[in-house]
Order: sequence, then C-alpha cells, then structure tokens
Amino acid sequence: MTDSLWVRLRDVFRPSARAEASDEIAFHIEMRARELVEQGHDPREARAMAEERFGPVLPIEADLIDSTQRRRQREDRAEVLMNLRQDLSFAVRSLRKNSAFAATAIATLALGVGATVAVFTVVNGVLLRPLPYKDPSRIAMIWISNTNPQGVTSDLPLTSGFFTDIQRESSQFEAIAAFRFSPYSLSVAGSVDKQRVAGARVSPALFQVLGVRPITGQTFTKEHAVVGGPNVAVISHDLWQRQFGGDAAIVGKRVDLSGQPFTILGVMPAGFTFPRGAELPPAFQFALRTDVWTPLVFDSTDLRNYGTMNLSAMGRLSATTSPVAAQSELSAIMKRFLAENAPRLKLGYHVVSLVDQAGKKVKRGLLILFGAVVCVLLIASANVASLLVARVSNRQRELAVRAALGAGRGRIARQLVTENLVLAGTGTALGVVISYWATKVMLALVPGAMPRADDIGLDWRVLSFAALVALLGGVVFGVAASASVSWSRLAGSLHAGDLRSTGTLSQRYGRRFLVAAEVALSLMLLIGAALLTRTFVELQRVRPGFNAKNVLTAGVGLPIAGRFDPFADGPAWAAKMNGIAAQLSTSPGVVAAGAVSSLPLSGAFESGGTRIVGRPTPAPGQAPSAQYNVVAGNYFAAAGINVLAGRAFDTGDDEPGRRGIIVNQEFARVHFGSVADAVGRDVVATFEFRNNAAPRTIVGVVENVKQTALDDPAAPQVYVPQSQMAYPGLTFVIRTKGDPMTAVPALREAARAADPGATLNDVRLMDDVVALSLARQRFSMTLIGTFAALALVLAIVGLYGVLALIVGQRRREIGVRMALGARPSDVVRMIVGEGARVAALGVIIGVGGAFAMMRVLGALLYGVSATDTLTFAGASVVVATIALAATYAPARRAARVDPKAALVAE
Amino acid sequence: MPRPSNLDLLQGTLDLLVLKTLSWGPAHGYSVARWIQELTNDVLQIGEGSLYPALHRLEERGWVESEWRRSENNRKAKFYRLTNTGRAQLRAESQTWTRFTDAIGKVLQASEQPA
Repeated sequence: MTDSLWVRLRDVFRPSARAEASDEIAFHIEMRARELVEQGHDPREARAMAEERFGPVLPIEADLIDSTQRRRQREDRAEVLMNLRQDLSFAVRSLRKNSAFAATAIATLALGVGATVAVFTVVNGVLLRPLPYKDPSRIAMIWISNTNPQGVTSDLPLTSGFFTDIQRESSQFEAIAAFRFSPYSLSVAGSVDKQRVAGARVSPALFQVLGVRPITGQTFTKEHAVVGGPNVAVISHDLWQRQFGGDAAIVGKRVDLSGQPFTILGVMPAGFTFPRGAELPPAFQFALRTDVWTPLVFDSTDLRNYGTMNLSAMGRLSATTSPVAAQSELSAIMKRFLAENAPRLKLGYHVVSLVDQAGKKVKRGLLILFGAVVCVLLIASANVASLLVARVSNRQRELAVRAALGAGRGRIARQLVTENLVLAGTGTALGVVISYWATKVMLALVPGAMPRADDIGLDWRVLSFAALVALLGGVVFGVAASASVSWSRLAGSLHAGDLRSTGTLSQRYGRRFLVAAEVALSLMLLIGAALLTRTFVELQRVRPGFNAKNVLTAGVGLPIAGRFDPFADGPAWAAKMNGIAAQLSTSPGVVAAGAVSSLPLSGAFESGGTRIVGRPTPAPGQAPSAQYNVVAGNYFAAAGINVLAGRAFDTGDDEPGRRGIIVNQEFARVHFGSVADAVGRDVVATFEFRNNAAPRTIVGVVENVKQTALDDPAAPQVYVPQSQMAYPGLTFVIRTKGDPMTAVPALREAARAADPGATLNDVRLMDDVVALSLARQRFSMTLIGTFAALALVLAIVGLYGVLALIVGQRRREIGVRMALGARPSDVVRMIVGEGARVAALGVIIGVGGAFAMMRVLGALLYGVSATDTLTFAGASVVVATIALAATYAPARRAARVDPKAALVAE
Repeated sequence: MPRPSNLDLLQGTLDLLVLKTLSWGPAHGYSVARWIQELTNDVLQIGEGSLYPALHRLEERGWVESEWRRSENNRKAKFYRLTNTGRAQLRAESQTWTRFTDAIGKVLQASEQPA
C-alpha cells in the first residue's frame, strides 16, 4: 500500500506514456526530414515526405501508448514485489542485529496490544457481535413499565392476561411469544439419577420470533400449547450431547421431567440457549443457559390474570413497522385497558430491542474499560516511538552509508516503514496470543454477570481490529522514524564527529512531550482506578442489613408437576419447608435455619402493593409498593437480620387463621414515622395470590436489607410467613457455628426426609453471594487497576529512557560543565530537574484530563465524589514521586561522567 | 523517384529483422529503419511507422529494453537494446527462417514434378 502510493508519486515525475510516444515519433520524422534536406530537398517538402513515409501517426501513437502503459504496470508490480521482499528481509536482519531494542519494543507492544485486544474481544462479544438470531434488530422485548410514587419507572414482567391482550390486539408484530423460567429435575427413562436442568415454558411462537429452527425434529405448534395437551419438550444441542450422547434417534424418546413423562419433539442447533439469564433482568431468575423448552399453556384463569407478573414477552416486528410504531400501538392498547379496568394504575408497555436488552447495562462500563486500555496502548506506542526515534539517531551513520551507495530518500523512508511494520506486526501477533488468555482471565472475574459472555472469543472482527492496530502502528512508527532522520545531514554524517548529535530541537521537545503525555495518561488511569477501588471498599463497608458470615444458602426444590396451585398445595409446601428448618436447627453446628423467597443480593426480588388500614385510599398511581419476601423457619435469626421492635415470626404464626406481617425500618418510617409506632397496625398486602385479602397485623419491625444491590437506597420491605401465603420455591439460609459447608449433608438429609424427591441447587456461602453481587464492580476495579499499573510502569520506563538518552547525548556538555567547575551534585540537580519538568507537565495535563474523564466515570462510583480531592492529590503525589525516582539513575550516571574522557572522546 | 518493385513483409519477419539489426548494438528506431532499408536496398519497404509497434511488442516480450539517451546529434531519443532472451530468440528464429527459405528455395529450383 505504501508501495502503490510510491509508484503513483513516481508517475508524477516520469513523462507520461503519451509524451513518450509522440516524442519517439517526432524524433523519427525529424531525422528523416533532415536526411532528405541533406539530399537536396526543400525543408518543407522534406517534412511532408518524411511524414508520408512514416504512415498514419495517430493509430501508431495509440498503439505505442497502450503498450508503454501495459509494460510500465507490469514492471512496477514486479519492482514492488522485489522491493518488498528486499525490505522485509532487510528489516528482519536489522531487527535481529539489534535484538535488545527489538525485544523491548516488541514486548512493550505485545503488552499494550494484548490488553487492548482482550478488552476489544469482550466489547465485540457483548456489544458488536450480532445476536445469533435471524435479523436480530427486528426482535424486541416487551415489558410492563410501572411508575412508582417517587416517579421512578421500572420494567416488570407481563401477566398472562396482558400478554394475551397484546397478542390479540397488536398488529405491528409478525409473531409475539411469552416465556418464563421453569426448572426441572430431569431423569432419563429407566434411570434413578436426577439432574436439575434449566427449562423455560415458552409460547410456540418463540422459535419463530427468534427465527431459529431445530436441527432435528420440530418445535411446538399451537396444538401442543393447549390445556390437557401432550407433554412435549424440545432440548438444547448441549443437553442432547451431554445426556443422550448425540443419539440420532432422539426424536420421540421419553424423558422424565420433574416426575412426568415428556416426549422429545426436537433438538435446537448448537449455541441456541435462549433465554439466557445474563441478558435479561436478574430478577426473573433465568438460568445462564436454557436446556429444555416446554409449551407455555394458559387456562381460563390465566386469561383473566392481571395480577401475577411472571411472563417475559418478546415479538418480531413486522417488516413494515418500526420500534416506535410498535411502542405507540402498545401504549394505546394499555391506555384503553386502564381506562376500562383500572384508571388509577400508572402502567404502560415498554418496547426495548433485544440488542439493547442484552448490552445496555454493561455498555458504559465496557466502553470506559476500552477507553482505559486504549490509554495503555497509547503509552506503549509512545514508548516504542520514542525508542525508535532514539534508534534512528544512532543509525544515522548506517543510513548515510546507504544514501551514499545510492538509496534514494524515498527508498530509505520506505525501508524504515517496512521495518516498523515488521515490528508492529510481530508485537501485535504476540499481543493477540496474550489476549486469548487475558480474555479468559477477565471473564472469570464476572461469572454469569456479563451478558453473552459464555461464547465470547476471537472472530474476524477482533482479528481485523488487531490487524488495523498493527498497520496503524507500523505506519505511524515508520513515519515518526523517517521524520526524525535529518536528511540534510545524511550526506555529511559519514564523518564520525557528527554522529553525536543531540537531535533537532523538535526531536528533543517532541520526545519530552511524548513522555509528559504518557505520565498524564497513566495519572488519569491511576485516579480512575483509585476512585473505583474506593467505590469497592465503600460498597463492602455498607451494612447490608444481614450478616453473611458463617451462612450457607441453598435452593430447595420439591417436585411439582404441571401447574402450581397455591391454594391446594400451599399448606403442604409450608409444612415441608418448616419441617426442614426445624430438623436443621436441631442438628449440631447449626445456629439457626430458615428460608426466604428472594435471597438478598442474589438478583432476585419481588414487589407488590400495600395499603395501610384506616388511611384514605391512595390517590391514583400513588399506591405504596414494597419489596416482599415469603419466609419460613427462623429466617431472621439465620440471616442475622436484627428485629428492632415487636418480634420475629414463630411457630405460633403457622396456626390456621393467623395473619401477621413484619415490615422493615424504612416501611415504618415512611408510613408511621417511627419503628415503635408501626407494631400492631394493620396492613393489606395486595400481592397475595387472592383477591380481597384480609388485613395483616404488623408483629415486628426489622432492619433494612439490601435486596438487589449494595448501592441500593433503602426501600420499604415486608415479610409474610409461608404458612400464611403459599409460595413455590424457597432458598434456605443456615447459620452455623463453624464452616458453613459442613451443614450441607444435614440439609440434604432434612430435605430428603421432608420429601424424597427434593433437590438442592445453588449451594453457596452467603459471603460468595455478596461477593458475586459486586462482580461487575470488581471487574471494573481490577481491570482499570491493572491497566493503571501497567500504564504507570510503561510511563516510568519511557521517562527513564528519555533521560538516559539525554544524558548520553549531553555527555560532552556535562563534561564541559564539570571541567568548568560544576560539582556532581549540580549535574544531578540538572538532570533531575529535567525529569521533574517533564513529570510536572504530565501531572498537570493528567489532572485536567481526569476531571474531564470523571463525567463518564461518575456513574460507576459509590460513596466517593468523582472529583475527590484526596484521591486526585494522592495519585498525583504517587506518580510524581515515582517519576522523580526514575530520574535518579540517569542523573547519577551523568554525575559520574569523567570530563577528560567525555571531551577526548569527540 | 521511382521505386523498384517491392515485397510486403510477412507477419513476424519484421520482428526478426529488428532483432537482427539490434544485435549489432543499441539503436534508436530511426537507425533501425535506415539499416533495414540500406541492407535490403529498399527492397523491403517497411511502412516506417509500423516499425515502432514492432519495437514495443518486442519490448513487452522482454526481448529488447529501452532507455532515453542523447542521440548522435544531441537530441533525446529512445534507444533500444537487445536483451539476453532477445538474443536467444534471434538465434532460434534465424534457424527457423533459414530452414524455411531453404525449403522454399528447393521448391522453386525443382526441375521436375515429384512422382
């Protein structure tokens, strides 16, 4: 590419094919005419005769032009190839000869490129790579948006009633589908081994919406999704391989899902695992990947259900419509519904593209990370560029020899560019290898919290990005290197004395500015990293409202097939869960045991409406909502949630007819002004699975618990015992005296005693649950911290390098100074001062840059101001101190210069 | 000046003549034309212009190469020079040509009709 440019440039200076052809013809005619004149012809006559003898000029000229152009093209191509081969082999030889230089430059580049490509791999995998569905831009998620009294709008799942409404009334979608999480315990016919698998109940249209077909068999039809329809399932490619060994005759086989026989209808293609938990709001508790799909069936009760929000919905926009049109149509449908049925509710539909749904929440963090890593790459590149410039001044002699032997300026420049392309190419190739591992390490920091993370890898986008980096690097370095060759001196610099030049003014200041910029960038990163670290520390210092130490948590599933009927099954469930808790509390080592519907900080939460008895009915849209939890056993003691007033639930609350409720401090403060005033008041919980539920009496007030994230503001929360409000699945919370893991056998035993079909899942320490909830913060903090450290090291190396070079180039000057009476300490002061000026400039630019940067970083911070003076000052002092320390070694070397030797050497 | 009866050049023959003239040393197009005319006593009337496409054709094939130089009267002219492959080509074509003219000669000198 530089070569074709080169050829085009040369064409400007060489005569055109047309000029050459007409010159050649004119010469012939002129010579002939001259000869005819010599033979005695009149000059004018002679010219006419000459032209006649030559024949038709124009066609011949055209012929010559054509052939000249053809020939030139071929020659140019051949020359380019030959030069390229020469340049390449020369570049490799030249780099090998200077292996220390080459190794330093390549290693620096490989580190910078490796980090950058690793982050780009994640950015590409999460944000750029198209979703693996047909025409993904036309797929939209549909949520119900609810505006709470504080004016905050949040997305909620649909109810079966709302879903069937939009399915019937909307015209903007080719297909609409609903789905919800449905864990199964799977056993293959004839085996007693049970395995928990992530399943989803889905409308038959789901596969049409996503545009994905099974690789064998079929997916559901409408006939499968009716009450009393056949038990059929579609399985993932992974499950097919894992569980059935890729059995070719899988279609039609029987499998046992949670105690019921299902017929396998089809197998989806590899990689299809929708819905995938990390891409959907965590509250819906989808597993990371889905392995089994069964039909979602609505009965007549479901069609009237506008209360239980448990469905996610998505649609494929029809070809003629836009997301905006779909949004406004759905809004109109909701408005009509509310006008007829519930004018006080502030609900709407919210259409969000699947692409945004998957990537939006991590986009900012990832882009900040990418910005940070590009800073590292810039610093690495600046170091390499500065090394190259230094190398060129040492190579001035070699270049002079080559110029003397006839290499043109263009040829030498091209050689420098080629050499740097080889350098950048090797560094990048190594960087790509490093990035492969770096990506894995990065993703291991965010297990399950990064959307689309499970199939991130190198693809053509990543490789093109790396190639672009290499190319850009090579050209920029090459241009920098050839710009620093002082061409005018090439002719003369065979004389040895000229070799010790101190560089041109622009070279000297350019290099210093480069290093100042490096210091500035690394200071910005360091400030960013420090703020994120303080955020992380602040978050961990937050009192979550419970005590995670020595606590084991595990989901306990009881076998239920088909529909869950809260009124029929509820009491039996409660009895079993309470039985497990009771048995556990008697086992040695267990302090307290209980269970909860949404484990704090696990991502799960549920909200519902509440009404205070004796207060006027709230104004439209002002119905107070609260996060609610259903609990069993001795949950508050097990989780370490303090009771501030009244009491916790006890076995008395399990008696039939009792109706109690426990609220948190925030609920008490908002509604009653104080904790003490809340106890004994009556509250209606409108989230109960029944209409016109009777009021509940507040029996106790507990402290606020961080339910969804440690940086959540306090929210009103209420608790109801499972014996009074049936709830399908609970997570056990067991407080132990010693290592919580020792309680696992006791839990398993207690669960099996309660029901032989019970399964355990997600057995974790509460400490790990808390740590996992901070995974994304830890991800940002660790990576930006690593990048900041890397940047600082590179910047210091850069600073050291420039000072060492300055000392080397100014040996003579230093010698003169010392001969004139300067003491070593003066020399040290001079060199350190040189370094200090560069570092100070860098720190000033860096602080300014950091202020600008905080506008984007601010959103990721918690408990620390984005312009925190202490952080800014501390980071600046650290960078300045390290920079000054780096000046010391070159300064001491300068002080040891022997004036006699330095002067004689010239 | 009346011209003697002349022969049109056979296709490919011109190439051979040009290669031959260049085998004595580099020359520009005009000298090539002059030499051919002199040596053939103007029997072979080449259209002078058609010499140049031939020269370029040879150059494209790599049998001759060219360079702009000062001519004997100090004017810039394009000089052609035979390359090594051009020389080999000349040898091969001369042999072919000799065999060809021998054959034609034998036919023309034959006194009896073959049996």
